[in-house]
Amino acid sequence: MKNKLWGATAFAVAGVLALAACSTGGGSAASTGIAPSTNGKGKTITLWLVGSDTPDALRTYLTTEFNKETKGTLKIEQQDWSDIVTKLTTSLPDKNNTPDVTEMGNTQSPTFTNVGAFLDISSQYKALGGPKLLQSFVAAGEVNGKNYTLPYYFGSRYVFYRKDVWAKAGITSVPTTLTEFNKDVATVAAANPDNIANFSGFYLGGQDWRDGISWIFANGGDIAKEKGGKWVASLDDPNTLKGLAQLQDIYKNADNAPGDAQDSNQYIYINNDDSIAGKTSADAATPVSLSAATIMAPGWAHWSIGDKGTDAKGAVTRTWNDATFGNFALPGNDGKAAPVFAGGSNIGISAKSKNPGLAETLLKIIFSPTYQQMLGKNGLGPANSDYTSALGSDQFASALIASSSNSKLTPAAPGWASVEASGVMEEFFSKIKDSTDLTALAKEYDAKITPMLNTK
Amino acid sequence: MTTIRLRPRVRRSKVLYSIIGVVVALIWVFPVYWMLNSSLLSNVVLQDATPTFLPIGGSFANFSAVFAGGTFFPALGMSVVIALIVVVLCLLFAFLAALAISRFRFRGRKAFVLAVLLIQMLPAEGLFIAQYKLLSSVGLLNSVIGISVLYTASVVPFTIWMLRGFVAGIPIELEEAAMVDGLSRTQAFLRITFPLLAPGLIASGVYAFLQVWNEFTIALVVLPDNASATLPLWLQGFIQQSASRATDWGQVMAASTLVAVPVIIFFLFVQGRMTSGLVSGAVKG
Amino acid sequence: MTADLAPKRSGRRRITGTPYALIIPAVAVLVLAMGYPLVWQLITSTQQFGLAQQFGQAAPFVGLQNYITLATDPYMWTVVARSVLFCAACAAITMVIGTLLALLMNVVARWVRLLLQITLLLAWAMPVVAAMTVWTWLFNLRSGVINWMLTAIGLPFHGHNWLIEPLSFFGVAVIIVVWMSVPFVAFSIYAGLTQVSEEVMEAASIDGASARQRFFSITVPMIRPVIAIVLLLQVIWDLRVFTQIKLLQTAGSVKSETNLLGTYIYQLGTGSSDFGLASAVSVFVLALTIVISAFYVRSMLKEES
Repeated sequence: MKNKLWGATAFAVAGVLALAACSTGGGSAASTGIAPSTNGKGKTITLWLVGSDTPDALRTYLTTEFNKETKGTLKIEQQDWSDIVTKLTTSLPDKNNTPDVTEMGNTQSPTFTNVGAFLDISSQYKALGGPKLLQSFVAAGEVNGKNYTLPYYFGSRYVFYRKDVWAKAGITSVPTTLTEFNKDVATVAAANPDNIANFSGFYLGGQDWRDGISWIFANGGDIAKEKGGKWVASLDDPNTLKGLAQLQDIYKNADNAPGDAQDSNQYIYINNDDSIAGKTSADAATPVSLSAATIMAPGWAHWSIGDKGTDAKGAVTRTWNDATFGNFALPGNDGKAAPVFAGGSNIGISAKSKNPGLAETLLKIIFSPTYQQMLGKNGLGPANSDYTSALGSDQFASALIASSSNSKLTPAAPGWASVEASGVMEEFFSKIKDSTDLTALAKEYDAKITPMLNTK
Repeated sequence: MTTIRLRPRVRRSKVLYSIIGVVVALIWVFPVYWMLNSSLLSNVVLQDATPTFLPIGGSFANFSAVFAGGTFFPALGMSVVIALIVVVLCLLFAFLAALAISRFRFRGRKAFVLAVLLIQMLPAEGLFIAQYKLLSSVGLLNSVIGISVLYTASVVPFTIWMLRGFVAGIPIELEEAAMVDGLSRTQAFLRITFPLLAPGLIASGVYAFLQVWNEFTIALVVLPDNASATLPLWLQGFIQQSASRATDWGQVMAASTLVAVPVIIFFLFVQGRMTSGLVSGAVKG
Repeated sequence: MTADLAPKRSGRRRITGTPYALIIPAVAVLVLAMGYPLVWQLITSTQQFGLAQQFGQAAPFVGLQNYITLATDPYMWTVVARSVLFCAACAAITMVIGTLLALLMNVVARWVRLLLQITLLLAWAMPVVAAMTVWTWLFNLRSGVINWMLTAIGLPFHGHNWLIEPLSFFGVAVIIVVWMSVPFVAFSIYAGLTQVSEEVMEAASIDGASARQRFFSITVPMIRPVIAIVLLLQVIWDLRVFTQIKLLQTAGSVKSETNLLGTYIYQLGTGSSDFGLASAVSVFVLALTIVISAFYVRSMLKEES
C-alpha cells in the first residue's frame, strides 16, 4: 500500500519542478518619487472600483478625463466587496495582472499597506490635498510616516427613525444624549403602539458590530490599542465594558432583530409596506408592516426609505416624507455626536504597476476639485475637506457631516483584515445579548482577537 | 421488472407506490418550481406575508430587468465555450486512459488508478493561490484555455472512473469477431465498440458538463476580469448587487432560472440516453 | 471480469508502449494543472507563509510547526469532528433515500417513474449557486415559505431563524446537500437494478423464494458494487463540501460555530492570509480522506490485480 501511494504521488509530482521555479520572484521595495506622467498614448491602465457606490457618471468622467490628459485608456473593473480581499491577495503581487490603481475598504488598507502592496506616494501627498485629506483614512494608509494609500470617499452612519411611531409612544423630541437615546428606544419598544410582531424600538442586528461599535466608542472604549508596537484587543477595558452593558440592554429591551442579522438593508424594516406577518396566523390579515421604529445605517440608505410609489416602468420608488420619517446623528454623552464607525474607501497605486506615472495622473484627477465635488454631490463624503460643502445642506448632508465630525476607524493593526475575515467580531456581538458575564466574554474574545491583530 | 400477470394485491401495492412516487416527485421538484414561480412575480408580491403559489398575474418583467444589465449573454457565451472544450477534452482523454487501464496490464497501472482516485480527494480550497500563480506565470489568466485546463484536470479523474466501467463491459470478442470478418482494427473499433460506448460517453459528458457549468470558486480566482466572467460568477455578482440595495428576490430568481435553464434543456435532451448510459456502466463499477 | 481476460491475449502483450501512450494526455493535463499546486501546497505547509510572503518576502521554513499548531488546536479537532459527522450524516441519508427512490422507481407505474426521473434530473441540474439562492430564500426567516407553511399548520415558526443555531444550521445544510446528491445516487442504483435479470427473479420466485429473500440474495449482491462506488464518492464529496456551507454562512449564522474543513481552509487561507496553516489543513484533509476510504480502496485494488 505504501509504495503504491508513493507511486501515485510521483505521478503528480513528475515534471513539476520546472513549474515550481516559475513562482513569484522576490518583490522589490516600492520606489519613491515617481512623477505623474501624461504620456499614455497606446497605453491602458486599470482601475478597480469596489461595489456600485461610485455612480456611472463619475466613472465616465474618469475615463474621459484620463484620456484627455494622457491620450491613454482607463479601464474600470468593478469588483465585489464579498471577494475583494481574495482578488487583492492574488492580483496585487502579480505584475502582469495587477490593477494599476485600486479602491479598497478603509479597514483593509493597513493589512495590504503593511506588506508593501502599494507604491509610496509620499512625494505626491501634498499635491493631492495633504493635510486637507481626511486624516483618519490617511493614517490607515501610512507606514513609518510614508503614504501608500489615500482616502477615496467616506460615509458615516446616522439614525433614521419613524416620527409617527415615536410620537404614538409618547416621545416627540429627538434625544440629545446617548443615555436618552437608549431610554427612548426601549420606551418605544415597550409601547409598540401598532402592536406589531417582532417589533424593535431600535433595530440592531445581533451581529451588526459596525453600528453597535458606536456604543463602545461613545463610552471612551475601543476594540484594540497599540502598546509598544504590539496590538492588544481591549474589549475588557472598563470603558468598553460600559458600552457593552448598554448594548446588552438595548439587545434585551429594545431590539428584536435576528441574532445573526448583520449590517445590511436595515432600512426595509422601517418602511411601511415591506410587510411582515402578524403574531399568529389568525391576525395575519392585519396589515402590520414596519417592524423597526429606529435604525442606524450609512447615509445613502435614505434613498431607500420613504413612502412607496411606482415609476413609469412600474418599479418601486421611495419618497422621503418628513411627516413620517426623521433622521439625526447618534448623540454622544458629551454634547457632541457619538463617534460612529467611519465607513468608506481608500485608494492606492499597486507597487507592481507597470505605469506608475500614469496611475499618479489618475490620482490627480480623482483628487481634483471637480471630481471631489462630484463625489459630494452624489452623497459620498469627499476625501478633501475643502469640498465637504458639495454634499449640500439638506438634513442628510448635515447628519452626515455631524456624524462624521467624530467618526472613528477600526484599529490600523496589520492583522485587522484577518479579524474581519474570521467573523470574530460578528460572533462576539451575537453573544452580548445572552451573556451573564460580559467581562468574561470580553476577555475570552480579547484572547481570540489579539493574536489575529498582529499577524502579517 | 414488470410482471405480465399482475395479481390484485400486487396491483394495489403498485398504486400505493405510485402515489408515494408522485408525492416524492412533488417534494423534490418544489425548490425548482419555487424558483420559476418567483421569477415571474414582482418583488412586492413576493414580500407579502402569504406566499403566492401560482404565478397568476405574473410577468417576464424580472427577466427583462436581468437582461437589461447586458452582461448575461457574454457570460453565457463564456460558459458554453468553456463547457464544450472541457467536455470534449475530458471525454477524449478519459476514454483513452480508460482504454489503457481496462484493456492493458502495465507497470504503473495501479499507481495511475490510485492517483486518479486521490486527486478527487484533494480539497480545492487550498489550491487557489497556486493555481492563480500557475496560470499567471504562463499568461493564461482570464483566458478560456487556462481555466479549461484546470477544469479538465479536475473532472477527468471521475470521467476516467466512469468510462472504465463501460470499456471493460464491452467484450473484446465482438471487436475481434469483426476483424475476422475482414474489418481493420480501426474499422472494428469505430463500427462495433464505439456505438456501444456512446451511452457511457454521454453519461460521462453530462457529468463533466454539469461540473464545469456549476463551478464557482476556481473561476472566481483565475477569471478576475468582469469581461471573462462565467455564469456562476455572473449570478453571484448579480445577487451581490441586488443585496447591496434590498434583495429583489424576483430578479434574483429570474437570474437563477436563466443560469439553470440551459442545463435543464440539455439534460432533458439527453435524458433518455443518459439513463441508459448509467445503466450499462453502473454495474461494472 | 473482462478486464482480467484482456491481458492474457497474446495479441495485446506485444505492444507494450500503447497503454502509456493512451494515458499520456490524461497524465499530462493532471500534471500540468494539479502538479504545481500540489507541490506548492506541500511545500507551503512547511513554511510560515502569510500575506508578506505572498507579496514576495522569503518564506521561512518551519518544518512541522504548522501541523503541530493544528494538532494542538482544539478548534481544529472540533472542525474535524464536525466535518466527519456532517459527512457521515449526509452520505448515510443520501444513500438511504437514493436507494429507496431507486427501488421505488422500479415498482411504480411507467408515467410515475418518468415523473420521478424528470424531477430528480431537475434537482440535479440546478447550478449550485442558483440552488443555494432558492434554498436560503425558502428558509428565510421573514418571507420564507417554510416558516409560512409551518406557521400555517399551527407550529410556532413565525420569524424562526433557521441558521442561527449551529445544529439547525447543519440540519438545513444536510437537507440541501442531500437534495442535491440524491439524484446521482438514485439514478446509479436504479441503473444497477434494471440489470437484475427478470428470468432469474422469475425462476427464484417459482422456486418459492419470498420477495424479501429475492431482494437480499439476488438484488443486493447485484447492486452491491454500484452502492460501494457511489458511497465512496459521496463520502469524498461530502467531506470536502464547501460552496453550500460558504453560501449558507453568508446568509446567516456564526462562522466559527459552523465551519467545516472546506470553509475553514478558505477562511485560514484567503480570509486570514495564513497560507502555511491553510495548506497544512488541506494536506490533513487529504490524509483524512485516504484513511476513511483506505479500506475500500484496498479491496478495490485487490480486485484490480
